Amino acid sequence: MQEGTPLQSRQVNRELLVSILNSPKWFFGALSVLGFIVLVAMSTAGFMINQGFGVTGLNRPVMWGFFITNFVFWIGISHAGVMLSAILRLSKAEWRRPATRAAEILTVFSLMTAMTMPLIHTGRPWRTVYWIYTLPFVPYDYARGIWPNIRTPLVWDPSAVYTYLTSSILFVMIALIPDFAVLRDRTTGISHRIYGMLAMGWQGNARQWKLQIIAGVLLSALILPVFVSVHSIVSWDFGMAVSVKSWHSTIFAPYFVVGAVHSGVSAVAFVLIILRYIYGWQNYIRHEHIDALARLLIVVATGWFYFFVMEVVFGFYGREADEIAVRNYQFMISPWNIWMMIFVGLTYFAPVAIWLSRPARRNLWIMSLACIFVNIGMWLERFLIIVPGLARKQLLTFDWYTYRPSSVEWIIIIGTFALVSMLMLTIARVVPLIPLYDIKEGEILRTEIKIGRVTVPAVFRED
Amino acid sequence: MAVTEPKGHGQHAGMWVFPDAAVMTQDVGEKTKAMPRPFTTALAVTGIFFILGIVGFIARAVDDGFDDIAPWGYYMAIFSMVFMVTSGAPLVALAFRFTKSHWRRPLSRVAELFSIVGILNLLMFIPLMFLLPGIANPDAVIEGELAVRRTIWFEGPIGAPHAWDLVGVAFLTITSLTILWISAKPDMAECRDTATGFRRWLYNYLAGNWYGTKRQWNAQKAGLALLGAFYFMTLIFMHFVISSDYAQSLIPGWKDSIFPVIYTITSLQMSLGAILVVLFIMRRWGGYEGYIGKSTFWSASKVLLGVTLLWVYHLFAFFITFWYGRLEIEQNVIKYLVTDTYAIIFLLNLIFSFAAPFAVLLWNPVRRSAWGPALAGVLVLFGGLMFNIRIFVGSANAAPGAELYKAFMEHVPAPVYPDIWDVFMVVGGLGAAVFLYLAATKLMPLISIWEVKEGTLYQKWGKFIRGEYLILGKPE
Repeated sequence: MQEGTPLQSRQVNRELLVSILNSPKWFFGALSVLGFIVLVAMSTAGFMINQGFGVTGLNRPVMWGFFITNFVFWIGISHAGVMLSAILRLSKAEWRRPATRAAEILTVFSLMTAMTMPLIHTGRPWRTVYWIYTLPFVPYDYARGIWPNIRTPLVWDPSAVYTYLTSSILFVMIALIPDFAVLRDRTTGISHRIYGMLAMGWQGNARQWKLQIIAGVLLSALILPVFVSVHSIVSWDFGMAVSVKSWHSTIFAPYFVVGAVHSGVSAVAFVLIILRYIYGWQNYIRHEHIDALARLLIVVATGWFYFFVMEVVFGFYGREADEIAVRNYQFMISPWNIWMMIFVGLTYFAPVAIWLSRPARRNLWIMSLACIFVNIGMWLERFLIIVPGLARKQLLTFDWYTYRPSSVEWIIIIGTFALVSMLMLTIARVVPLIPLYDIKEGEILRTEIKIGRVTVPAVFRED
Repeated sequence: MAVTEPKGHGQHAGMWVFPDAAVMTQDVGEKTKAMPRPFTTALAVTGIFFILGIVGFIARAVDDGFDDIAPWGYYMAIFSMVFMVTSGAPLVALAFRFTKSHWRRPLSRVAELFSIVGILNLLMFIPLMFLLPGIANPDAVIEGELAVRRTIWFEGPIGAPHAWDLVGVAFLTITSLTILWISAKPDMAECRDTATGFRRWLYNYLAGNWYGTKRQWNAQKAGLALLGAFYFMTLIFMHFVISSDYAQSLIPGWKDSIFPVIYTITSLQMSLGAILVVLFIMRRWGGYEGYIGKSTFWSASKVLLGVTLLWVYHLFAFFITFWYGRLEIEQNVIKYLVTDTYAIIFLLNLIFSFAAPFAVLLWNPVRRSAWGPALAGVLVLFGGLMFNIRIFVGSANAAPGAELYKAFMEHVPAPVYPDIWDVFMVVGGLGAAVFLYLAATKLMPLISIWEVKEGTLYQKWGKFIRGEYLILGKPE
């Protein structure tokens, strides 16, 4: 599967560094608009912290709403980086090459954004220090003899997420070294110095390449368990809670991980389509790459759907009154049943129907739509897990309640999407979002073989 | 046969083979016909085991009848063991064909031939259908009991679960046999002119209209894809059904949404293990070393390593959720299946399904050998046997009689050890499966000739800068 014309090394440098060396006219305008939205969201968060949770729609028993939904959603998006980069690198899939960098960077930014959500959700973010420290100079909890409960998944969460964030940053940086060296050699002044520092003396000799490749492979293998653990632990925030019946399910960990990969890979496909459009990278992000991502997504989506069905079937299997009440709320009571139908339709049936058609997989507009569908659906999935479960948490009906998000929550959520977009746009000005060296390696290994009267694209493989 | 030297250098020495397509049909045909002494000995030994199994089955039926499922725990375990291997193996062939992995070519037929053993599944399942207790509580419901026990069938449809289970197993067997037939058609057509006797008749009968026209090839490709998709869905559903009906729903209070997934993963792990063992035997003693390069073992072993890790991850997800929840109902299930009653079996299961194969497959040189992945295959097969004993003997004996309709398991039962008939049935079940597989290898070519020939077109050995490397054609 190799479409497009062969690319020369100079051409690769010139075309892929265009986002860094030349700013398009729309760049600062777009950045300003996104920055403004982020600013508004930050102000709103400040207002909420000042006024208290009364300005949100959160109320007993639904104390987790939009913020936690959004936290899980962004953690999910972050799974794209490792899925694409590490697994496809280890499996030596040729089509991974243009997708890895954008995926890895999206991982870092979505993780950072995700971690703002629990902080905002605490209402008093400064008090999260008690999760980790009980030192004499942080007197309140210590004085009362209250210690952090390290056995709760709420403490495992930041540990896992920050480990993932650290290793993802390391992963991106290692892969960036050869590209930093290219930038070092093409810039002057302060940029030259910064890129020089980041390139860490890279000269591109055989030993350096060998070390870089080994580091990449090792990090790929090491980051995989971290990647799986992160969303597993997030799922256990829910799964360990026996009091919310619909959450206490053994399948939650793999269900969340596969769902995360589903939304993450869709997000990466969407980002790649946008990059292709705004920077004119038609030679690099080709239809075959989007096609391959779509085929991968069929498998991931089907896996996800299987887990979803298991989760629902075993929800009914127990025939316990409190769990049936939640399922009834999810599937029978308006508007939740409508949301449920929209969620399943957008997450599985609509996109998979699209991806099964080759022409649709190669139509970027339709693909964009499918990827947006998946992400709307996956956001709804988390919402429909969290809210109905809490709304019907209690066995006695007078304790039942519902949830309606306030404008404060809406603004903050929209702000997180603007934040990630803004960060992606900013980073595109600093590092190449398609790895130059990976593309060049692909070009070097590219060849052809003749089968009968037909010439077929081929690649050299060392192993 | 005319075959080039295995290619590869450095750590990849001997990794790739390039068989000669011109003489392949004749060579494989002769190997299919040959009946060397070790083969006939293996056939005789497994045949004796098969007879022992039948003796064990009859004796168990005479002793205990078919009214109570409890004495049949080991029979259920061995049924499930054979079912997991034979149902998963065709999926392995289909999955790697779907991903267009070149290295899968020598293992496709090895995997698909397990479909023939699937007939044994169908036969073994018939008694199990009668053994499964009804859904509705036959007695008056007292406090703490359920009128309808927990099952995936809830309160219907008619004939559930017995008839639907049987239909499912039959569908699975028929579909896998159809896949084998469609896949082997070109090979049988090619071999029909050189084959003699029964084989000639069989090949003529099964591949009579195959002439290798473009239309036929397209139809074959489409047929395999469609049946593959259907088989995949049926398989997942049947794993869900068997693991729920014959395991989970027989242990009161065990509500575990991840268990069907664990069952499917164990099945894939075991079937891949079995395929690797067969490939090793073929390469080492069967004269197929010219067709099976080490690259097949290397690539398959990476998949096996991945599946092994998935297995332990899912097991952990089950365990931690139950353990952390501290609910008595779930603690009892853990005590029964993991920490108390079947603790030793669980430990063996964990060691052989995870720790030992992981320790073996972790090392690159071992993965690059032929024996390493095969060893891991043997380990996971033993681990799988322990898994099945733990789960199915456990479930058959968890709630005798009316206790089955209780809301949860109030007391953790004691373990049930095998008696002589159980041992006969376990040995006999395994022997019967191997016997049938060995017999099947003499019916059809053990190498998918058309796929390996196709591979010779797409894989070349060529010069790149200063060295020589594999060139892999990627037509789409």
